[in-house]
Amino acid sequence: MNNTQLKSFKDLMREFSIQNLGFREKKSPIFYILNSVFFFVALFFIFYILNPRIITAAEFNLTSQAQEISVGDQFETILFLNTEGEDINAIEGKIIFPANILELKDIKDGNSIINFWIERPRSDAAGSVIFSGITPGGFRSENGLVFSLVFEPKERNKGQIEFSGIRALKNDGLGTPADVSTQPLEFEITEADLPPEESIEIKVRDYEPPESFAPEIARDESMFGGRWFLVFATQDKGSGIDHYEILERREFRIQNLEFRGLIRKILYPISYILNPLAVAESPYLLEDQELRSYIYIKAVDKAGNERIETIFPRNPLKWYENYLIWGIIILGAVITYWMIKNLEFRI
Amino acid sequence: MKKYYLIIYFSLLLIMVLAAGFFIPAENILADNSNAVVMTVKILVCGDGVREGWEECDNSDLGGRSCASLGYTGGALSCTPACEFNTSACATTTSPPSGGGGGGGYVAPLVETKVIFSGKAYPKTVVTLLKDAQIAATTIAGADANFQISVSGLSAGNYIFSIYSEDGKGLRSSLLTFPISVTQGATTNISGIFIAPTIDVDKSEVKRGDNIAIFGQSVPNSEITISVNSDEEFFAKTPADKNGVYLYNFDTAPLEIGQHFTKSKAALAGEISSFSKAVSFAVGTKTTPKETPRSLKSDLNGDNRINLVDFSIAAYWYKRPISAEFSKKESEFLNGDGRVDLIDFSIMAYYWTG
Repeated sequence: MNNTQLKSFKDLMREFSIQNLGFREKKSPIFYILNSVFFFVALFFIFYILNPRIITAAEFNLTSQAQEISVGDQFETILFLNTEGEDINAIEGKIIFPANILELKDIKDGNSIINFWIERPRSDAAGSVIFSGITPGGFRSENGLVFSLVFEPKERNKGQIEFSGIRALKNDGLGTPADVSTQPLEFEITEADLPPEESIEIKVRDYEPPESFAPEIARDESMFGGRWFLVFATQDKGSGIDHYEILERREFRIQNLEFRGLIRKILYPISYILNPLAVAESPYLLEDQELRSYIYIKAVDKAGNERIETIFPRNPLKWYENYLIWGIIILGAVITYWMIKNLEFRI
Repeated sequence: MKKYYLIIYFSLLLIMVLAAGFFIPAENILADNSNAVVMTVKILVCGDGVREGWEECDNSDLGGRSCASLGYTGGALSCTPACEFNTSACATTTSPPSGGGGGGGYVAPLVETKVIFSGKAYPKTVVTLLKDAQIAATTIAGADANFQISVSGLSAGNYIFSIYSEDGKGLRSSLLTFPISVTQGATTNISGIFIAPTIDVDKSEVKRGDNIAIFGQSVPNSEITISVNSDEEFFAKTPADKNGVYLYNFDTAPLEIGQHFTKSKAALAGEISSFSKAVSFAVGTKTTPKETPRSLKSDLNGDNRINLVDFSIAAYWYKRPISAEFSKKESEFLNGDGRVDLIDFSIMAYYWTG
């Protein structure tokens, strides 16, 4: 029985030889089944090697919640990063959109997975937005929000928002490039169904100030000729950071007293008018290289919420160098003199 | 009959091709995690309406409990914002019937938005918590290496928190990163953190056949697994002492001449850390003791920290021709290709300390 089985198996194997792959003679059904399995295995490996989807790649994709887009209606396109299980710590690239069809109205980077922007997302040319940034320690997620773009369609048309020069680097200490795939967004603009004055405008409700932050004073011989500079960065989880403002001032400011209530309401605006902060960017070359000034750094988000951080002077003024102290002394002296004079008069 | 077999043959072939096309890629687009270590980190959110873990209740989810089941005679059980039972409206005695009266409303106290991290580091060492890559808090782990650290006053939104520790010899662990979506008014607990061991070697080059000491610190009495990556990967196990310090003398005889890397992970009571940073050494024809580096990789201003200052210095030279002065730094602390680009920032992000 065993011999018979063995023989039949040998016969099958012989039939399933390369020479017998043609169909010159009648074959058993088992031959065809085994032949199919052989091709299945071969095709499996061909798919495995050639199919681009199989390669693990960090995927950048653009999504939009708007199902129908009409001329004049603003819509938001969000750039997500799916790291596909890889630790990614640096990204850069460019988003290309048809400038004849879409007008870029806003770029929102609040709530981003990117902690520090090397190049904050910005329109560098018509129909192009560039960006690059890092996430220290790396980031691993299926849907990390990078930033979003708000567009307003100009005309009825079809188009595509796509990527260019996208790179993602692994968090391995070497900056090894990760495989990257991109998912562009195709869209179709229809005729406006609302009058222009009723068109949809995307606004963010944001009542929270930017996150607290810790600005630092530093200097380096390779930058600004070795002079002191200030670095600062924060995030805003709502609308995103709009800009920063800075004031350097040696004298004590009324804000430092942290008044509350009516005094605050009256004195603070006056103080801000008298001591306006100027728009600045990090790194900021300090005017007071002797580091004797209080430095006020204000972060303003796109909704107008503010957070002010203060750096105290490293080399504060001596008491006799402070005009405020002399002002108080002189005022005190005048009052004393006046009182003495009045008292003498009465006596 | 021949035609019949041919039809079967091609039908089977077609089915299998379709099966290969539809199913095979879908199962293989997942990441290759063969080298990954799975670490269980538990995230509990108080305020999300779902009672879990240590929470007695969460908003309206009282876990089926009532005033009566807690030993009161009646009343309405509610939940405090700290996810504990609020029994203030539970009755202890039966009240005599009385006339009506206006009821007061329960005004929930304002609860700060908070995230608490807890786990294991190294005994009596500083644990640093970064919020969006800037130092938010530090604490000192206990003698048993357990730590708890929290950050409050947060807005609702997505945060990237990172934790690292520095051992008694000044060696730093790699950053453990947690992307967390914080809910307003909720306390998020992240427990079960197991910081990877620190690691270093005593020689930068070792004569083939000589021993190389691989050492570091982790949790007291944990089991350390050391991996030496070569063409073939070698594993060794050694226990950490009561201070969490471990030392293993690795025999380099089986290693090929050339550059090698070693890393370690720790395990204790069923918990396991991720792998540490990889440390390199060379196997050659002579032995050279490892010198303590003058400064850290990416530490452009030499303050022993890699933070926003270093980032700003590098960003200043981004896409600019670098000066002769900065060129020296670029070759020593960055990737040495004579320019500042994304790769340099990626290296910096890896060595980040905040």
